[in-house]
Amino acid sequence: MSETILSIQDLGKSFGNHEVLRKIDIDVKKGEVICIVGSSGSGKSTLLRCINKLEKQTRGKILYHDEEVTDVQSHINDYRSKVGMVFQSFNLFNNMTVLGNCMLCTRKVLHISKEEAFDRAITHLKEVGMAPYINAKPSMLSGGQKQRVAIARALCMNPEILLFDEPTSALDPEMVGEVLTVMKELATTGLTMMIVTHEMAFARDVSTRTIFMDNGYVAEDAAPEILFTNPKNERTREFLSRYLAG
Amino acid sequence: MTMNLFSQTDPTNSLEWTWFIANKYSSMFIQGTYLTLYTAVIGTLVGFLLGYLIGVIQDMKVNPGDNALKKVTVRLLKTVSGAYVEIFRDTPMIVQAMIIYYGLRQANVEMTPVFAGILVTVLNTGAYMAETVRAGIGSIDIGQREGAYAMGMSPMKTMIYIVLPQAFKNIIPEMANTFLTNLKMTSVLNVIAVQELFMAAKTAGGNYYKYFESYLVIALIYFVLCFIFNKLFIFIEKGMQGSEDYALAVEYMDNQ
Repeated sequence: MSETILSIQDLGKSFGNHEVLRKIDIDVKKGEVICIVGSSGSGKSTLLRCINKLEKQTRGKILYHDEEVTDVQSHINDYRSKVGMVFQSFNLFNNMTVLGNCMLCTRKVLHISKEEAFDRAITHLKEVGMAPYINAKPSMLSGGQKQRVAIARALCMNPEILLFDEPTSALDPEMVGEVLTVMKELATTGLTMMIVTHEMAFARDVSTRTIFMDNGYVAEDAAPEILFTNPKNERTREFLSRYLAG
Repeated sequence: MTMNLFSQTDPTNSLEWTWFIANKYSSMFIQGTYLTLYTAVIGTLVGFLLGYLIGVIQDMKVNPGDNALKKVTVRLLKTVSGAYVEIFRDTPMIVQAMIIYYGLRQANVEMTPVFAGILVTVLNTGAYMAETVRAGIGSIDIGQREGAYAMGMSPMKTMIYIVLPQAFKNIIPEMANTFLTNLKMTSVLNVIAVQELFMAAKTAGGNYYKYFESYLVIALIYFVLCFIFNKLFIFIEKGMQGSEDYALAVEYMDNQ
């Protein structure tokens, strides 16, 4: 059995009286590609944001290599530098070029040399096919290009696990394809990933494990071939049938 | 003809008097212009720094996990800076000038009127700029910050490298505005005997009982100064917009 990177235990999150996450227990092992599916409002994005500490959980804890991630800022920074995140709205730095976006955090957080940061940036930008655009500003790129840069930027940190929060939801169908292709390739490299997505075919193809979330709970957590063909949970079946019906 | 209209020695109408006073007290007006500019430029620049500092302090947040010292320090800084902004925004600059200058003199702190004038300008600018900076920070979408946080950037580094450079660009028009306001507001510093333009006009006008003509001279100087600076700021703002073009890095193109 490969080692556990993340262990989410009894996680709960409420916004005021509204309980978004009720009780989440998930262990993430090295090399797993976990897709999280479910209807809007089921808590998928909130779960990822809690994992990255962008939201503070109201209950439970997150263990990173068996060590609890505390609320101390320096500890959080340290933890985040190993847990990358790709957002629905790309969140590139608008005041910097593509190259600047990819070099800033490696320079300022990991404190690597300029040359090494540059090499890393070029390597990962090539991987996503965006190396020719190093001099462009984010505002000059299309959505798909922005998202590919965002993925390269996250990869530059050499994260142990990469979280994707609906990375294709803001893209038109053509651009969805180019981003998913990049992600499929990443999945084959052995990188550990957690992907919140509405792309069912993609989830079925790339994930090693699929989680169906419903109403703040993990309703079903199974291998994709089981979850997509023979779901045990009634809600999963309902959700998938509606999806497949279009 | 011209000589008749603008008589140097024997002015008979307002136009001639204006010309006469401008000539007669030219060195005083030049000195006044210099002091006005000096006070406004130094006061505004230092005030901007103060405004940025306060604006950033106002934006600070504490984590529940932070240690007690940090929590107390941040809360204290926020309270003090909040009170400062409130006080200086809610009182007139002319009153602030009197209170600071005479108040400090009473406390046996010796300072030149010019220094006091700059101090008042700094404190006033800082208070207004703090609010402008806060709005500028708020204008940068939270997503960019989260993008930085998610890669382990501290809130302070995120502020310095990502938020402030963009906020700065967004509030340039407001900063230009503040400077122009300051350039004109230095006129109130005559109450603490700063020898700026207003003081020059008051003195010159008083000697001949020609106040209208005398203030007309400095009105023109204020106008020209503001006009030039305004054009300059528009030019800078345009320059900062940057090019919309970029060159493809052909060395990284795939030649399939």
